[in-house]
Amino acid sequence: MTDDPHPAELKATPAPNPIWTQLSVVWLVPLLALAITLGVAWKTYSDRGVLIEIDFADATGIHPGETPLKFREVDVGKVETVGFSPDLTSVRIGVRVDKHVAPYIDAEASFWLVRPQVSAQGISRLDTVLSGTFIEGYWDATPQAEMRNFQGLAKPPVAPDPSKGTWVELRAEDAGGLAEGAPILFRGVTVGRIQNLRLNENDAGVTVDAFIEAPHDRRLTTTTRFWDTSGISVSLDATGVTLDMRSLASLVQGGIEFDTLSTGGTFVQNGFPYRLYPSSDAAKASIFGNDLIDPPHYTLLFDQAIKGLERGAKVQFRGVEAGEVTDLSIKVQTDSVGTRYAQQQVVIALSPERLGLARDTDKEVVTEFLAGEVESGLRARIAGVGLLGSTLIVELTDVPDVPAKVMNLTADPYPILPTAPAATNDLAASAEGVFKRIDALPIEQLLNSAIRTLDGISAVAESEDTRAVPGELNGLLSQLRTLVDGLNAGDAATKTIAAIDGVTEAASSVLYEIEGLGDTLKSTDAAAQAVAEMPLGDIGTKIDGILGDVRGMLGSKDAERLPRALSDTLEQTAALLGELREGGAAEKLNGTLVAAQDAATAIADASDRLPALTRKLEELVTTAEGLVASYGDRSAFNAEILNSMRELRRATAAFGSLARMIERNPRAFILGR
Amino acid sequence: MTPTVSVLTARDAGLTGCTRCGRVWPEGTQACGRCGARLRRVSTAGLQRVWAWWLAGLIFYIPANLYPMLRTATLGGHQQNTILGGVVELLAHHNYLVAGVVFFASLVIPVAKFFAIAYLALSVGHERRAGSHPHLHLYEVVEFIGRWSMIDVFVVAILSALVQLGAVASIHPGPAAASFALSVAFTMLSAQSFDPRLIWRGPAQAKDP
Repeated sequence: MTDDPHPAELKATPAPNPIWTQLSVVWLVPLLALAITLGVAWKTYSDRGVLIEIDFADATGIHPGETPLKFREVDVGKVETVGFSPDLTSVRIGVRVDKHVAPYIDAEASFWLVRPQVSAQGISRLDTVLSGTFIEGYWDATPQAEMRNFQGLAKPPVAPDPSKGTWVELRAEDAGGLAEGAPILFRGVTVGRIQNLRLNENDAGVTVDAFIEAPHDRRLTTTTRFWDTSGISVSLDATGVTLDMRSLASLVQGGIEFDTLSTGGTFVQNGFPYRLYPSSDAAKASIFGNDLIDPPHYTLLFDQAIKGLERGAKVQFRGVEAGEVTDLSIKVQTDSVGTRYAQQQVVIALSPERLGLARDTDKEVVTEFLAGEVESGLRARIAGVGLLGSTLIVELTDVPDVPAKVMNLTADPYPILPTAPAATNDLAASAEGVFKRIDALPIEQLLNSAIRTLDGISAVAESEDTRAVPGELNGLLSQLRTLVDGLNAGDAATKTIAAIDGVTEAASSVLYEIEGLGDTLKSTDAAAQAVAEMPLGDIGTKIDGILGDVRGMLGSKDAERLPRALSDTLEQTAALLGELREGGAAEKLNGTLVAAQDAATAIADASDRLPALTRKLEELVTTAEGLVASYGDRSAFNAEILNSMRELRRATAAFGSLARMIERNPRAFILGR
Repeated sequence: MTPTVSVLTARDAGLTGCTRCGRVWPEGTQACGRCGARLRRVSTAGLQRVWAWWLAGLIFYIPANLYPMLRTATLGGHQQNTILGGVVELLAHHNYLVAGVVFFASLVIPVAKFFAIAYLALSVGHERRAGSHPHLHLYEVVEFIGRWSMIDVFVVAILSALVQLGAVASIHPGPAAASFALSVAFTMLSAQSFDPRLIWRGPAQAKDP
């Protein structure tokens, strides 16, 4: 035993180490990494969009994983797969669409490929050259039953968003020069495009959808009219050549223009049908409104030739324009004995409104109305209108004394209206006769001779000889003065009473002559007046009318002869003028005056031989004074002018008579016959 | 013990090596008398950190390969490439050298590192002193080459900084770039956490304190 207090051997076993106390904190790192990675993975998965499939004819420029799907130019998805439809006829493109957008992609959604396009209107979507082709989609904002399979459009729609304008439907007889995407112009400004040009299913026309962009679609009312402005329009008429081309694009693709020609229309809804007129004139002139897309048609069968009747010719119902000819053709018929004969088949369209019926009258009602009219004598016949009756129309009018007929209501395609022989066009015939007579009138000659006459007068007035007349008269007066002076100086009054008497008589006769001159002057005045009153104005008016007719005639063969006739007339006129000049009217007048001067000289000579002044000198003086007084207090120069004027009047009177003669028989004057 | 074994480990001699300067001290010494670094005992507890970093690196290596590394936007459009996709594309353009470098640096090395670290960590404690030299070389190689895995990340970083020409061309790093960088960083940490002295330690049960 020992006292050494030996402590008991401590049997220490290490405390059990819990596993977690041995764990390093570094283990948090992989846990965190795992959490992050799983979180990212889950987010990626949950954000994954919806896969839709779109079928396209081809997949040019589409790359899986790259090509985006865009909605209003914003990426909303990406192409994931490019495959084929089960029958290999189309490419099936799988697009992963953003899950926020996917609910809106319903049955109304449309998809198309956007690529750079080169068209007549220019190059569009050039941005896709660099960014690559992409798929664009459009769908509305109302989520409906989701769809997963779509058929892609072959080409981008003209207006994917219908809220940006108005769709209307245009119906025409033929497409003319129109092509898909052709512009729609309003006063020359492009405001829309056409699309979906198609043939009508039931009749011969075509229909095309037109999209008018907002805000221009407010220009559309129910009275708006559309017309085709395709290509170039060249017209040749009296005003010259007119070349009309709206735009290069409309030359290549065609174009449509519209305008609202009359007020009172109401705004239109999508899909409103319009008639597409072939030309601006047709649109403005047509009597059919837009609301009458399909007017009632009727067939007319004519036995006689109807050369000159054209499509679009007017149809008159008792003188009122009520429709137009829509088709012309030949129909071969077989009569009761088996002989075949041809009839002219004319199809007309009628506007019920113009027949006195309501605008929206049913076709059957119109037919019924016409059938009743036919029973009371209404017939269709060809009539000529216009000055020469050369424009043919169809006339629906009451023809007297015709065998009773009824409409063939069951004929195909349209009911047949009975016809009557063409009306004999008295008016046209007589108008033609009148025109021929007018044509025969020597208008040109008359005018030319009038011009020549005036020229002649002018030449006489301007000639040196005429100007010499006043001087010569002055000389005559001087001689008279010398005579009076001589008489004064003579101072032998007493022995010359008888002689003075003679002188007085002579003077009186001179006075008388002067008074007679008054008459002459009157007659000259009258002649001048006659010249003045010559119905030149009327002639002018007539000439205007004739010129109008001539212009109208320009198309006829007679027109060719006209220049030749004109040329002939001009030649004659020139010849006549030459004659007149050679005739020397002025010289003749001058000669007359010289003769008068000679006479005066003779008088002066006689006065020398007269006895001296007599006591009747006073009377002579008085008479002389009277003579002078008759000229008034005018100066010698005025008197000379007066005299010369009188001479001119006389000459004018002569021409007046000439003019009257022309009036009476111009041709005789000009042609000397 | 087999006679061929002539290696005397520090542990066998009752010494502890300084992890910083390599000087050995008797067991129980607290600090290195030469460099002042704290002396740590060789312990398998450090393996936990190796495995933790290793796992974290592996986890981030998965998205690094699944997500795109580069987002290239040019006039022609967008392009995204994963690491492997980039290699394939480079091959398609006949850039075999670059493709080889990228493939080696971004795929071969990381994967090899994962295997190497795992192998080293698993082999700790087994009696294989005679074969321990290759293990040490392997560890040195892994530690040396680990940083080169970052070459891909560097390329992405430099391209993203340089190629920002607006609409003409721009390059952005993808989600994989960050994942890859993290993965490489974690594997480097894993490699660093591994105590190479364990290679020489021998069977764990021999003299485990």
